[in-house]
Amino acid sequence: MSYTYLAALTVSILGMGLIDHRWRLALFRDAGAAFIVLAAGVALFLGWDHVGLRLGLFFRADGPYMTGLQLAPDLPVEESVFLLLLSYSALVLYTGALRLLSGRVRHHERAV
Amino acid sequence: MSAGAWTFSLVNVIFLGAAGTAWAVAALTCRGRGQAPSWKAAAAAFAVLALLTAVFDNLMISAGLFDYDTSKRLGLVLYRAPIEDFGYPLAAVVLLPALWHLLQGRTQRRAATGERATGSRLWQVVLASRPLSWVNTAFPFAAAYLFTTREVDARLLVGTAFFLIPYNLLMYGVNDVFDYESDRRNPRKGGAEGALLDKGLHRLTLVCAIVVPLPFVIWLVALGSLRAALVLLVVLFAVVAYSAPRLRFKERPVLDSATSSTHFVGPALYGFVLAGAQLGPAHALILGAFFCWGMASQAFGAVQDVTADRAGGLASVATVFGAARTVRLALTLWTLAAVLLLLTPWPGPVAAVLVVPYMALAWPYRTVSDEHSEQANAGWRRFLGANYAVGAALTQLLIGLWQLNA
Repeated sequence: MSYTYLAALTVSILGMGLIDHRWRLALFRDAGAAFIVLAAGVALFLGWDHVGLRLGLFFRADGPYMTGLQLAPDLPVEESVFLLLLSYSALVLYTGALRLLSGRVRHHERAV
Repeated sequence: MSAGAWTFSLVNVIFLGAAGTAWAVAALTCRGRGQAPSWKAAAAAFAVLALLTAVFDNLMISAGLFDYDTSKRLGLVLYRAPIEDFGYPLAAVVLLPALWHLLQGRTQRRAATGERATGSRLWQVVLASRPLSWVNTAFPFAAAYLFTTREVDARLLVGTAFFLIPYNLLMYGVNDVFDYESDRRNPRKGGAEGALLDKGLHRLTLVCAIVVPLPFVIWLVALGSLRAALVLLVVLFAVVAYSAPRLRFKERPVLDSATSSTHFVGPALYGFVLAGAQLGPAHALILGAFFCWGMASQAFGAVQDVTADRAGGLASVATVFGAARTVRLALTLWTLAAVLLLLTPWPGPVAAVLVVPYMALAWPYRTVSDEHSEQANAGWRRFLGANYAVGAALTQLLIGLWQLNA
C-alpha cells in the first residue's frame, strides 16, 4: 500500500489553500459559499466518474502509487481528493483572475 | 441507445450542458446587481487549468493511475492524454464560478438586511461541536477498528472522519440548542468548553447537526453488517436522547452519567463490531473499564455546574447527590475502572496506572461544599489537559501492544 499519490494531492490542496489565504479569494473570503461551491463541484464530478466507469469509458489501473482503498467499486479514495483539488483550483484561479481583471479596471479609472 | 453507443464525448456534452445551464442562470439572475460571472476570468482560469491538466494527465496516465477504452474516444490526444479529459476542467470553470456568483448574491442580500456573514455563522456552529473534544470520539473508534482488522481500509477512514466531526456536531449541536436557557446562566460557556449559541443560530445548528452526519451514517450502514448497524443505531439514539426535548437523559441523575459515557464507549464498541471482532471477556473488561471512566468523568464535570444547574431548574447526578458525594462517586468509579483493567490480559493491567492522574485531580474536591462547587472548574480545566497527556500515554501503550502481537 502506498500513500504517494494521496500525499501529493494533499500537499497540492494545502498549497492552493495558502494562495487562497494570502489573497483572501474563496474559502478565506466567504467560507459558507466556498464550501457549497466545492461540495457541488465534487458531487458533479463524482457523478461524471460514476457514469464513465459504468459505461466503461475509463477504468482504474492498479498502479504502485495508490493506497488501493476504494469508496465504491472501482472508485479509489484518491479520486475524491483529486476532484476536490480540481474544484478548489478552478475556484481559486477564477476568483484570482476576477481580482486581477477588476484591479486593471480600477487602474484605468485612476489613469483617467 | 445501447451502452456501446455511449462515447466519452457524448457523456461530456451532457455534463457540460448541466454546467452551462448553471452559468446561464447565474448570468441572468446576477446581471442586475453587477455581479454576473465573467467569461474573461473563466477563460483565464481555463487556460491555466488546461495547461495543468495537460501536464498532470500525462503524468497520471504514465504512472498507471487509470486508463481508457480507446474505442470510445475521438482519438485526439495530447501525447497520452485524450482530448475528452479536458471536459473536466472546462466544466469546473463554468459551473463553479456560476454557483459562486449565485451565492455571492445571497451574501450581499444578507449584508443588506443586516444579517451576519455566513463565514462567521458557520464558524459559530463549528465551535459548537467542541473541536477540543473531537479526538475523544474518533480515537476510540479508530483504535478498536484498527486493532481488530490490523489494516487501513475505507471503513476505517470514513468511520474515523464521522466520529471526528459530524458525530460531535450532532451531539453538541443538539445539546447547545436545547440547553440554551441553563447555558445562558453559566459563566464558563462561550469558549473552549462550548459556545453560547446565539438564538438566531439555533435553526442553522440543528440543520447542520442532522444533514452533515447523514451521508456518513448511510454509507456506514450500507457497507457494514446488520449487527454493526444496530450498534450504530443505539449509539446515535444515546447521543440524541441525552439532550433532546422530552427524553432529556441528561436531566435524569445517574442515567445522565451512563448516557454520557455511552457517547465515548459507543464508538469503540461500534469499531469492534464493524471490524467483525468476536467479542470476548477481554473486550468486556476493556469496554467496562472505559465505561466506568466515562461515568466518573461526566459526574466530576457536573460538580462545577451544581449552582448553575439548580438555578436553571436542571437535575444532574451532582445536583441530586451534592458536590462532595459526587466527587467521591467519581473517585470510586475511577477505582473500579482500574480494577477492571487489572483483570485484563497482559499488558492491559499497565493501563490501570492511567486513572491515577484523574483521581489526583479530583481528590482535593472530595469535601467541596455545594456553594463552592464552582471551584471544581479549576480541576475540570486540568482534566481537559490531562486527557491529552493520558491519551498520548495510552497511544504508546497500544503501539507497544500492537508490536507485541505482530
